[in-house]
Amino acid sequence: MTAFFAFVCVFLALTALVASEAEEVLSAVISLSVFGVLMAMVFVILQAPDVALTQAVINSGLVTSFFLVAYSQTQKPNLLEQKQDIGDGQ
Amino acid sequence: MGLLLLCLGIGWWLWKGVAAMEDPEFIIGPAAYYIINTAEETGAANIVAAILFDYRGIDTLGEASVIYTTVCGVAMLFSKSKYKRSSAGLSFIARRGVSFLVPFLLLYGSAIILMGHMTPGGGFQGGAVFATVTILLCIVFGSSFEMSRIKPKTKETIESLGGLFFVFLGGVGLLAGAGFLANTAAGFPRGQVGNFLSAGAIPLLNIAVGMKVGAGLSTIFYSMVRVLELEFGEQMSEVEGNDKN
Repeated sequence: MTAFFAFVCVFLALTALVASEAEEVLSAVISLSVFGVLMAMVFVILQAPDVALTQAVINSGLVTSFFLVAYSQTQKPNLLEQKQDIGDGQ
Repeated sequence: MGLLLLCLGIGWWLWKGVAAMEDPEFIIGPAAYYIINTAEETGAANIVAAILFDYRGIDTLGEASVIYTTVCGVAMLFSKSKYKRSSAGLSFIARRGVSFLVPFLLLYGSAIILMGHMTPGGGFQGGAVFATVTILLCIVFGSSFEMSRIKPKTKETIESLGGLFFVFLGGVGLLAGAGFLANTAAGFPRGQVGNFLSAGAIPLLNIAVGMKVGAGLSTIFYSMVRVLELEFGEQMSEVEGNDKN
């Protein structure tokens, strides 16, 4: 059990690093979702099932979808360039 | 480099703390009191639910009002105008699969809310499951489907009713002369520990919080998606206009 716990903890740190350092926003969001699921597993191992339920539902369900909505609402840099190109062409 | 060392040091410290938690002699103070007395005083088998809705009920009311304020703010910020277009949704296979899954998800959410005083879970978690179901419906069936089935007005009504129900249950304790949000002291039946009908007002408070959280989080998602649809439509019409030119 301790070995599994240690494995989950190391993987947790890795996903957190990817979420904070990834260049692409989408990879960061997905990595954050994986982070949430692993966090829920850690809470189960630490015998906090209430917090684990909240963590699993909120982080992998709601937070991910909110981030994806926010991502698709904001303007992407390449889309901006395309628009400028169209403007130049006219 | 120094930052990395700091992180590693704090991580090691946390690891040692977690390892020490298994020792029963670390259960002291309020924790020991709750473990010994919760079942007798409230009738709830889930100590966390008993603390949330009985011992610290007014804190939970504060949390619920924080969510209410957030929903009001988001809905006000994003309440531009009605949109006409709807996202197309996913394929036939995804639609059939999700319509098989949704009843079970609803059952799961209800079970989490209704059995919050016995098993892990409660109003907040179950409400979040309900909100996730509506988001799933929006993604798979397109956004106008869910809007036509459950009107945004209905959601707002459900949320406000949940909040009012919570305060009303608190007021019952006040009327009985036992203080705001009093549970067994206000005359709610304690029941047998572990039974479905037990723990006095805790299941009712769970239902109230579930209504609030489910409707509230769903409202936040829908007000954000509505603006998304609007702006996407504008961008598309702009692109089409450029193509014509």
